[in-house]
This record gives sequence, structure tokens and C-alpha cells, in this order.
Amino acid sequence: MAAIEVSGLSKHYGDVRANDDLTFTVQEGEIFGYLGPNGAGKTTTIRSLLGFQSPTEGTATVLGHDVRDEDELLEAKAEIGYLPGDPGLDEQVTGREYLDYQSSLKGDERREELLELFDPPLDRKIREYSRGNKQMVGIVQAFMHDPELVIMDEPTSGLDPLKQEAFNEFIRGERAKDKTVFFSSHVLGEVRRVCDRVGIIREGKLVTLEEIDALLRRGGKRVRVHTRSDADLARLSGEGILDRETFDDGVQFTFTGDYNTLVSVLADYDIVDLEIEEPPLEDVFMHFYGAD
Amino acid sequence: MFEVTRYEGRRRMRGTAVLTVLLAVYALLIVFLYPSIAESSVDFDEYVESLPPAFQEGFVGSANFSTVEGFLSIEMYQFLWLLLLGLYVAYSGGALVAGDVETGQLDMLLATPISRSRVVVEKYLSLLVPVLGVNLVTPFVVYVGLLAIDETIDPVSLFALHLLSIPYLLMCAGVGLLLSVRLDRADIAQRGGIGAVFGLFLLDTVSTDTDFEWLGALSPTRYFSPVDILSEGTYDVAGALLLLAGAIACVGVSVLLFERRDI
Repeated sequence: MAAIEVSGLSKHYGDVRANDDLTFTVQEGEIFGYLGPNGAGKTTTIRSLLGFQSPTEGTATVLGHDVRDEDELLEAKAEIGYLPGDPGLDEQVTGREYLDYQSSLKGDERREELLELFDPPLDRKIREYSRGNKQMVGIVQAFMHDPELVIMDEPTSGLDPLKQEAFNEFIRGERAKDKTVFFSSHVLGEVRRVCDRVGIIREGKLVTLEEIDALLRRGGKRVRVHTRSDADLARLSGEGILDRETFDDGVQFTFTGDYNTLVSVLADYDIVDLEIEEPPLEDVFMHFYGAD
Repeated sequence: MFEVTRYEGRRRMRGTAVLTVLLAVYALLIVFLYPSIAESSVDFDEYVESLPPAFQEGFVGSANFSTVEGFLSIEMYQFLWLLLLGLYVAYSGGALVAGDVETGQLDMLLATPISRSRVVVEKYLSLLVPVLGVNLVTPFVVYVGLLAIDETIDPVSLFALHLLSIPYLLMCAGVGLLLSVRLDRADIAQRGGIGAVFGLFLLDTVSTDTDFEWLGALSPTRYFSPVDILSEGTYDVAGALLLLAGAIACVGVSVLLFERRDI
């Protein structure tokens, strides 16, 4: 059985097609990245999957239950965890009181284990929490009832890099236990670290469904080279070098080829500084799916 | 069952305690004011006669200012219970759902295996904490206060007044709830709740003794009269049942509306 099956899902707000005829499947035990720029319709899909809003057309099932049928969906929700990007916590109570409340609604057999990894100050009022502490309470409540499926909307926003790494590690552990994770993000780098497969959404439409490795190969890296000012950068070219842009004492390009080729090309230069980083998601779109 | 009610009810404890203390202080103030008013030579009947008819109907009714029952029902109950407390619960009702939509707390709640109808009903029931809280404490405060000034009133009427105010307040809360499931912004639903209850109160008051008296029948205030209960000892039980039915209808309609809407 598929963990999530989206078929022809559309959600229109007046003239705005926030989701337009989406169809895709998330398998059990898969970490699925739902990638798209801000405003692409990721949150709209998530809200439909959780039954917060009803589809204009089409439908979806989660854990085999139709999202349009509240009674059916309630059965599934016992096995679903949800983590919004900015969790709506009750600011007036302590973290512990909030988790007690959530646990009274859905259970908490994994609470203690999670609190060892994510440790917000439980006895302080949530209104005193930093952004990161709030997100940790959100993570704990999303996983504490040991759900089969966890749906997360931009989950690592607000976490410091160390906690982000702990979170990624934890997610990989969940996959090993055959849990399904649906994970939306607008940052390719975030998704690539944990996801098996990625669906890319733009302007409400599904652009592509790919294995993460294939996507990264096609997406390439952004390379920025600073050289001594007298270097003849015009010569710097080769297979896999795209979108060259020259500036004062250097050059920037997208590289999709073999790293060995890149290293041998660069060996001819006296390099002051070299940066190789993830391309912004927008650039990935530009290169492979057209600018419009 | 009732996890939401328990949680939200516990969160209302402190506010209820503060409200109860404030009302108790006000009640004692009124009670201790009575002897000096009763001894003064002011002719209250003349004063009441000079008020506009609508005002007389709204705040005085058939009460006699110079008796302790009349004084209490006008100075305390007609104003504080019928109007201010009614507005307060309507205001609180306005925040029940819309407040959680605004803060995103509703998403966290609806992501758990709890139905929308349960959310609405359980949240509404949490308002029983302030409604029952003030009505359990205040009659004792008033009664003991009266004993302290060597006055007494019929305790049955006093407790009946508080008991019969519960359906009235639940009805006002229901009006707030109705607005709360329709609107996304809590402050608008809350102000709407206040406006609706106050408007209905005015409708009842203004329409009395006119050809449009039937219009006032739409108002919850028509079915709960502190003056009648305290001064005359007449209990409008049918009215209370009607208010209770109205409150249940408000909750029922709220559930239907909330089940159909996008959040």
C-alpha cells in the first residue's frame, strides 16, 4: 500500500490555482522531499492531505484513507504526525504541559527518547522559547506517538546547524524503521541530505518526480573561482561548465560534469579562492525546466 | 473524551478566579451600599419615573428600588449578569475557534485523531468553567453579605436566579461560537459577539410596549429576567429551556458550518 497517493488533486482559491492536477505516490518507508520555491503550493497540498481543506477536484489518500472523508481520515490520523514550519503552539503553557495535552489526544510512547535528542526547556512557558526551542517541541509532538507517516512543512526552519544535523540523522533512523516521511522544503540542500526521492512543484503544478541522485546530477554545483588578476579566464571552459559569468578577478559557473575534469581545468590557474556550493533551487529550475 | 474541554477548562481557571473575585467585590459593594440608600430620603420611584421608558424596561422593569430585592436586581443583576456577563461570554465564545485559526493552534489540534465536531463542542464546553464558577460562588457572597447588614432575601429565589442565568449565558456563548466558526480573525468574532448580544438586548428593551414587541422575542434577554425572579419570585422555566435549546442549536449549527469549511 502506498503511504500517500495523490490523484488529480487540485485546489483553487478563486482564480488562483494553488494546486493544479497533482498526481504522485509516496511509497511506505520512503523519505519523500516535496520541493518548490515559496508560494509554489507545497503547503496547500499538505493542508489537503490533512483534511484541513477539501480539494476542488481530484483527491488523495493517506495510509489508504480518503482525505475527503473525515471519518476515514480520523482513522489515519492516529498514525500520522504533523510538523508545520511554524508550529502553532499554545504560548501560555509550559512545553511539558503542551506535550501532555498532545499526548492525551494521540499518545506519547516515544516522548522520552525524543526529548534526549531535542531538548527544549520543558518547564518554561512556550512564550519564552526561542524559535529553535519551539521547533523542537514541534518535532517531539510530531513523532512522539510513533506514527507510520510524518508530514512536515519546512521542518528545519529555526533549528541551529547542530540540531539540523541531529534532525537529519534522526530522520534517516526513521527510514531504517520503515517509517514514511513527507518533507516539504524550498532548499535543495536540505532535501538532498535525507530524501530518497523528490517531487518538484512550481506554480501549483508538479514539474518532475526524480530520484534524489539524478536530480543532483542534473542540478550540478555552483562554482565560484577567484584567480590572480592577470589570469586569462576566457580559456576556462570545458564539458559540464554552464552559464559562465565573469567578474573582476574571477568567474562563476554551474558545473554538471565530472569533478576530475573540473580539477584538471582549474589546475592551470593560480587560484586565490574557490567555492563549490549547492545551486539555489531557482537556478535548478532555470537550467532544466525553463525560465517561465 | 473531553481532553480538549479539560485542557481549555484548566486554562480558564485563572481568568475565572479573577472574574469571580471582581464580581464578589462588586456584589459586596452593592450590598453594603444598600443600608445608606434605603435610609436616604431620595424618592427613587420618582427618579425611575423620570427615566426614558426604554431605560426603565432595560434596567429597572417592575423592580422596587427601595426593597433590597429590587435594589439588588437592578444595581447588580440586571446590569452585571444580564448585560456585562452576557457580553463577556459572547466575547469569550468569539475566540473559541477563530483564535486558534489565527495562531495555527487549530492545525495542531486537527492533525490529531479528533473530529471537527468534537473540537467545536469540547471548546464550547470549556466555557462552563467561568459560567458555572461565577454562579457557584456569587450567590453565597451575596447571601452572606446580606446577613452581615442584617438583611435577608429568599435564598431560593437567589439561587434560582443564578441557576436560570446559566442557560442565558450559554446562549450568549453560543452566539459568540457561531461567529467564531465563520470568521478567521478572533478579534472580529469577539467584537461581533459583543455587538450581537448588545444589539439583541437593545432590541428587546426598545421594542417592549410597542407594536414591535414580537421583535424582542428574538433576544435571549427576553427569557431571563433577574427582576422578575428576585422581586416577584416568578421563574420563567420555559424561557430557560428555550434558551438552552437555543444554545444547543447554536452549537449544532456551528458544528455543521465548521465541518464544511476550509481552514
